[in-house]
Amino acid sequence: MSQSVGPESRSTSSPAEADRDAVRVRGLCKVFGATRALDQVDFTVAVGEIHALVGENGAGKSTLIRILSGIHQADSGSIHVAGRPARFGSPREAIAGGIVTIPQELRMVPAMSIAENLMLGSLPLTRRLGVLPAIDRRRMNDEAREQLARLNLDVDVRAPIRTLSFAEQQLVAIAKALRRQCSVFILDEPTAALEAREIDRLFAVLARMKADGTAIIYISHRLDEIVALADRCTVLRDGRVVTVRERGQFEIADLIEAMTGRVTADEAADTRPPGPELLAEQTKDAPIQLHAGQTLGIAGLLGSGADLKVRGLFGAGPAPVSVRAANGGATLLKRPGDAIAQGIGLVPGTRSLGLIMNQSVRDNILLPNLFQIGSIFRIDRARADALVNEMMDLMDIRPRRPDIRVGSLSGGNQQKVILAKWLARRVSVLLLDEPTHGIDIAAKMHVHALIRRFTHDGGGVLVSSSDLGELARLCDSVLAMRERQIVGRVERADGMNEARLRAALERTR
Amino acid sequence: MASGSVSSRLLGQIPLVTLLVLCAATALMTDRFLSPVNLNNILVQSSIMAVIAIGMTFVIIGGGFDLSVGSTAALSGCVAAMVMLEAGIGAGVVAGILAGALVGLVNGIVIAYLRVNPFITTLGTMVLVRGLVFLITGGAPIEGDYGLPSAFVGFGSARFLGLHALVWVPIVLLLVLSWVMHATPFGRHIYATGGGREAAYLSGVPVARITASTYVICGALAGVAGVMLAARLQSGQPTAGEFYELTAIAAVVLGGAALHGGEGTLYKSVIGVFIMIVLGNSLNLLNVDSYWQRVAIGVVIIAAAAADSLRSKR
Repeated sequence: MSQSVGPESRSTSSPAEADRDAVRVRGLCKVFGATRALDQVDFTVAVGEIHALVGENGAGKSTLIRILSGIHQADSGSIHVAGRPARFGSPREAIAGGIVTIPQELRMVPAMSIAENLMLGSLPLTRRLGVLPAIDRRRMNDEAREQLARLNLDVDVRAPIRTLSFAEQQLVAIAKALRRQCSVFILDEPTAALEAREIDRLFAVLARMKADGTAIIYISHRLDEIVALADRCTVLRDGRVVTVRERGQFEIADLIEAMTGRVTADEAADTRPPGPELLAEQTKDAPIQLHAGQTLGIAGLLGSGADLKVRGLFGAGPAPVSVRAANGGATLLKRPGDAIAQGIGLVPGTRSLGLIMNQSVRDNILLPNLFQIGSIFRIDRARADALVNEMMDLMDIRPRRPDIRVGSLSGGNQQKVILAKWLARRVSVLLLDEPTHGIDIAAKMHVHALIRRFTHDGGGVLVSSSDLGELARLCDSVLAMRERQIVGRVERADGMNEARLRAALERTR
Repeated sequence: MASGSVSSRLLGQIPLVTLLVLCAATALMTDRFLSPVNLNNILVQSSIMAVIAIGMTFVIIGGGFDLSVGSTAALSGCVAAMVMLEAGIGAGVVAGILAGALVGLVNGIVIAYLRVNPFITTLGTMVLVRGLVFLITGGAPIEGDYGLPSAFVGFGSARFLGLHALVWVPIVLLLVLSWVMHATPFGRHIYATGGGREAAYLSGVPVARITASTYVICGALAGVAGVMLAARLQSGQPTAGEFYELTAIAAVVLGGAALHGGEGTLYKSVIGVFIMIVLGNSLNLLNVDSYWQRVAIGVVIIAAAAADSLRSKR
C-alpha cells in the first residue's frame, strides 16, 4: 500500500499557509454500524484549487462529502473552514458556513419557472398596496437573468425549468449556489449525463470560479476528466486516504492502482471470427446484425436514441419491432415476453428498471425464470435455491445472502443481479444499456469480464453506452448514433479507439 | 422480502402484538369481552370482513386500490338471493360470486389496460354498482315470500367443528390463497408488478394481465363476502356493505401492507381485520359513545398509515 505523503507534509505547515486552506479536515472518523466509513481521514483543499476526490463505491467519498455538507456528523476529528473550526449540524448550517453542494440528482421543481427555481429560498419580496407581501417578479426575473448571463446561459427565465436540458438545469443549480457566496463548492459526478460540448462549458465555469478563489471539490468516476482538470487528487480506499498527488504526478493507471490496490491490465478483446447470426433487425438497411461471439456497440450520448434502439429490440419500444432470430425465422417482438422467449435479455440503463428494489436478491433473480423452475402451479423451491446460489457464486454477488433486499446492495452488485437474472435464463443475446454507469472501477471490470465470458461462450452482446472508452475496449464493431440515426460505423479491424469513436459521433451527416 | 434481521422481524409482528394488547386490555376492563357469545360475534363479524380484506390485499400488493368492494358485496348478496329464489342455492351462490368477479373485471380492464387511476375508477364503480343494486332490487330487501331457502339461511348460523360455519370460509381461502401468493409464479408476479411495474414488465411479466386479475380476485371475494352476508342477514340487502371498503383498506394497512404496492401478507391483513373489529367491539362493551368510536377508529387508521410511512423511511 502506498503511503500518504500529502496530508502529513501539510499538517506541519506554517500558520500563514494554513490560512490558504479553504477546508482543512484532520483525523476524521465515522462509523456506521459495523463499517468504518472514514478512518482518520486528513483532507485539505486550498483557496482557488480544484481538488478531485476519487475512490471506488464504498471508499468513503460520499461519507466525507456528507459530513462536509452537514448531512452526517463526524464521530471524531476536526474540520476547519477558512481557518475557523466548523461543525455542521445540518445542511443549512453548512450552506451558511459557505459550503455548497451540487448533487448528482438536481432537486428542481419542474413546473416552476427557471427564475423561481434559481431564487427559491430567498425570493425578493415587495409589498402590494403598501401592506400585502408578494413576490417581486420583475426583480426576481432581472436578478435571475443577470446570474445566468454570468454563466453564458441565455434563456427565457420565465419558462418552466423542465424545458431546459439537464446540462442547463445544472448551470441553474450552479448559479443558485454562486448567489449564496460560497467559498467551497462540491460537485458530485457532475458530468455523468453531459455531452462533450456541455462538459467543456462546465469546465469553463469551474475555471472561472477557481480564478475567483473558490475552492472546488470534484468527485467523478471519469478519471480522464480528473487528470485533465484537477490541481490535486486525493484517493480514498476503505475509508482511508491512500495517497494525495499534485497535478502532473498522476495518470489514469496510477489512480486505478491506488483506488483498487492492484495493478490493472486491460484484457485484449476476443478476435475470433463471428459465429452464426443470433439477431438481426428486419429493416431496409438492417444496421444491427448480431452474431454469436460478437459484441456490437451503439455509441450515443443522452438523447441520441441509442437507449431506445436497445429497448425496441427487446419489444419494449413504442412500436413492435420485427427481427430475424437465431432460428432464422422472422419474429415480431410486441412485448418483452416475446423477446425473452427468443433468448434475449435486457439490462436497462436505469437500475430501478432492472430490479424490483424492495424485493430480495432471490426473488429478483428468479423473476424471469419462474416457469423454468416449476410449473404454472408451483415453484420448485429446491431448484430455485440451487439456481440462485449458482448465480450468486458465478457473479460474485456480495454479500452472499439471497434474502437481502436488492435495494440495499451497492450499484455494482445490483448490476450483477440483473445480469444473473438473464444468465439464469440461459439467454443467447444480451442487450445492455449503459451497463457500467455509476458503478465503481472494480465492479466495472467485473462486468466487462462477464460480458467477454458471455460472448466467448457463444453469446452475442449489443451494448449502448455514452462511455466511448468502454465501447472501444469491449466491442468488435460500434455504430455511432445521433438524433436517432446511425451516422457512422467503426470496426475493430480498422483500429478502434475512443478518439475514432468520438470523431464518428461528431461527424456531421 | 424481509431482510431477516431481528429488528425487522419484530417490526413485522407489530400487528399481532397490537391485537393481543388490545384483547388483553379489553378483557381486563370488562368481563363480557371473553364471554362465548361475544367471542363468537367477533369471529363471525371478522370472517366476512376478512374475506374482503384478503381480496383487497391482492389489489394493494399489486400496486392498486379498490373502493368498490362494499357496493360489490351488496350487489352479490342481492343477485345471489334473487337467483336462489328462482333456480336454487347452488346457482344463487355461483351467480353472486360471478357478479362480484364481473365488477372486478370491469375495474381491472379500465385500470390495467386503459391506465385510468384506480382511485377514480373504483370510486366510479362504487357509486355505479350501488345504483345498479337499487335498480335491480327497487330498493327493497330480497327475501321472497317465504324467505330464502332454509339450507342457505342455516349455513349462516350453522356450526362446523365447533366454529361458526361462516368462519371456515376465510380460513380455507387464507390457506389456499397464501399458497398461491408464495408458491406460484402468479403470486410472485403480483408482488413484482406492485414492487416495480416497469421493472416487472422488462422481466417479461405480463403486468396488465396481472393487475387486471388482482381486481377480478378482489371482486370475486367481495362477491363471496356478499353471499355470506346474505346468509347472515337471511336476505339480500341493497344497503349492505356500506363503508366495508374503508374498514378493509384500514385493516390491510394495519396488517403492514405498503400502499405503494409490492409488500404485504394475507394473514397479517386478517389480523388487521381483527384489530378493527375488536376495537369496535371493545368500545361498544365499554359504552363509548358511537361518535367517539368513529373518532377513535379514524385515529387508528391514520396512526397505521403513519407507521407505514415511518417504516419505509428507515
